Amino acid sequence: MVGWFGTNLVSILNGFAIGSLLFILASGLSIVFGMMDVLNLAHGALYLIGAYLGYQFAGDTSSWPGFLTALGTAALAGMLAGGVLSTMTEPLARRPHLDQALLTLGVALVVAELLAIGYGNDVLRVNAPPGLNRSVQVFGDTYPAYRLALIGLGALIALAVYVVVERTAVGALVRASVADREMVSALGVDNRRVKLAVLAVGSGLAALAGVLGGPIYGAGPGLDERVLILALVVVVIGGLGSIKGAFVGALLIGQVESLGRALVPDLASFMLFGALALVLIVRPRGLFGAPKAAV
Amino acid sequence: MKPSAARMSRAISRRRVLGLMGAGSVALVGSAACGSSVGGGDDEGDTPSGGGGGSGAVKVGLVIPQAGIYTPLGIDMQRGWELWLGQHDNMLGGYTVETVIADEGEGPDTGVPAIQGVLQNDQVDVVVGIVNSATALGAAESFAEAQKVLVIANAGAAAITGDSINPYVWRSSFVNAQVVVPMAEYLAAQDIGPVYVMSADYAAGQEVVAGFVGAFEAAGGTVAGQALTPFMTTQDFQPFLSGIQATDAAATFVFYSGGEAVSFVQQYAEFGLKDTIPLYGSGFLTEGSVLGGQGDAALGIRTTLHYSTELDNEANTAFVQSYQDAHDELPTCFAMQIWDAANVLDRALAESADLSGDAISEALGGLGEIDDSPRGPWSFNGQTPEQNFYLREVVDSDGVLINSVLEDLGTYAQP
Repeated sequence: MVGWFGTNLVSILNGFAIGSLLFILASGLSIVFGMMDVLNLAHGALYLIGAYLGYQFAGDTSSWPGFLTALGTAALAGMLAGGVLSTMTEPLARRPHLDQALLTLGVALVVAELLAIGYGNDVLRVNAPPGLNRSVQVFGDTYPAYRLALIGLGALIALAVYVVVERTAVGALVRASVADREMVSALGVDNRRVKLAVLAVGSGLAALAGVLGGPIYGAGPGLDERVLILALVVVVIGGLGSIKGAFVGALLIGQVESLGRALVPDLASFMLFGALALVLIVRPRGLFGAPKAAV
Repeated sequence: MKPSAARMSRAISRRRVLGLMGAGSVALVGSAACGSSVGGGDDEGDTPSGGGGGSGAVKVGLVIPQAGIYTPLGIDMQRGWELWLGQHDNMLGGYTVETVIADEGEGPDTGVPAIQGVLQNDQVDVVVGIVNSATALGAAESFAEAQKVLVIANAGAAAITGDSINPYVWRSSFVNAQVVVPMAEYLAAQDIGPVYVMSADYAAGQEVVAGFVGAFEAAGGTVAGQALTPFMTTQDFQPFLSGIQATDAAATFVFYSGGEAVSFVQQYAEFGLKDTIPLYGSGFLTEGSVLGGQGDAALGIRTTLHYSTELDNEANTAFVQSYQDAHDELPTCFAMQIWDAANVLDRALAESADLSGDAISEALGGLGEIDDSPRGPWSFNGQTPEQNFYLREVVDSDGVLINSVLEDLGTYAQP
């Protein structure tokens, strides 16, 4: 058993690093989706904006000011974009999900194309900040320091999101809106403002994830679709609207993508959706999905 | 047949070209779709045919990716094509060239209609380009039916000039396995030890792996292990890198290109394999724009290819210089391949009795050695190049990463 851990330590560690990144990406999507029924397919494009901002400020050299500027601008740009998305989807609030999906998908395509026109079609690199742009020895295995830092940061952000959602008045409002929007509305709270705030924060997190994922995945065309699919799988596995679900789902998918692929490389292509199917068969609402109130 | 789609692809290509190149350098492209030439337009008119080896116009369909993952290759190819024409007064074998550009897209679903569009709507005499092998194979039959010549400037599937060979389809690039057989024989001769072989899991990757393993084992080498990674969905190679470390591999041989080449090379260094297990690859691993993304992680990687910007011959020096003057960056093998496609078409059209596919095909077959190519001398053998392969190593030259040439590994025909 000890030997097994020794052999697969790097894969397990890496699963946590990917899981951290996925959580930062998916938590916003989960709350927005579960709460406002806004199917935000532009979430991947927001990640991509963050990734290119990472390239913009940390593409040439490895520097802390550059990387932090990228993080700051990405958070701001993401929140702003979330606000715009919220305004755009508002007129469709009473229309079926598909209409919102189509609108956000259209936005995603336009954003991705604009980025491709602006930055070209090559995969661009984002440098990890100094000190983290090297590899360290972990129990005799070589591992990139940046990914270790990402695990720590992911845990911190998870804790912060958890405290805000579960322990504060604002969080209570968000949770109440997930559970029963009409009732919250009846209490005199303007749903649209809650939605605006949640979409802004969720989108900010997605753009932040883009910068944070930059040193691992770089920035390039098509990345938006790949991370969107991962985020959707995480959200569906975890259960819509549940932060705890997004956390567990992200860690699970992180391990599936890392340890799973290492153990059974032949099934690598199917593993992601295999895990999704398995969870849906056992628990159709996802691991932590609450039963929806009857409408 | 959808005329609207063809029209759209022409509109896009015109816009793209004007945007990319400025209107001045290639006025020929803009006029191509306007039907200003005799016999142009969409009616079933005769193709404009010259008077036997030397006058009139030839209409060439340049089918290259202008959207999707292969766009960088499409840009390189368009530049290579225009560079050659710019240097030769816009003439091929005495004919004035009218280029019609169409977007190949990512796969046969877009590529084959684009090819049929230029063949049927634009009534081109010759088609050049084609990055994707599935597109090339899917369209081959159309060329037999139309009796027009296709000169493929990239797509490397063995079947194109192998099992599915067709007298109208020629290739100025390479065959997937041809690129790695020289490396396999070189590594076996070096007595390198067990080699781990890895590639993306798609048709070209499978051909490369089969070609490498076959040649390596035939030359006495041992394969430590093999893995095919899911194509275009693998962002993180760590699980597969752990797989390499779990074997007794003394070296790794891989085939990746584009974005995957960037992530793979970076992660190979990040996870510490670069220092312990030397990395070898097919030349596409470190060719062109990917080098910038890979950065220092690419230093020391050795690959084989039929070209390097560092080749020391007169044609290459001139080619690299003029390409750099025009675009302020180094050319790639993709630009070179289509430059050579223009080169062989120029020679063939000068010999050909007329612009019919049969006459051009026959002329291509009789060309003999092409002695002024940037890649060095080569000749058609089975409608695809028999050419020299070079062992290259990524080095830093004043802050720019280049593929320096270590050794000429000799001439190889398609396997």
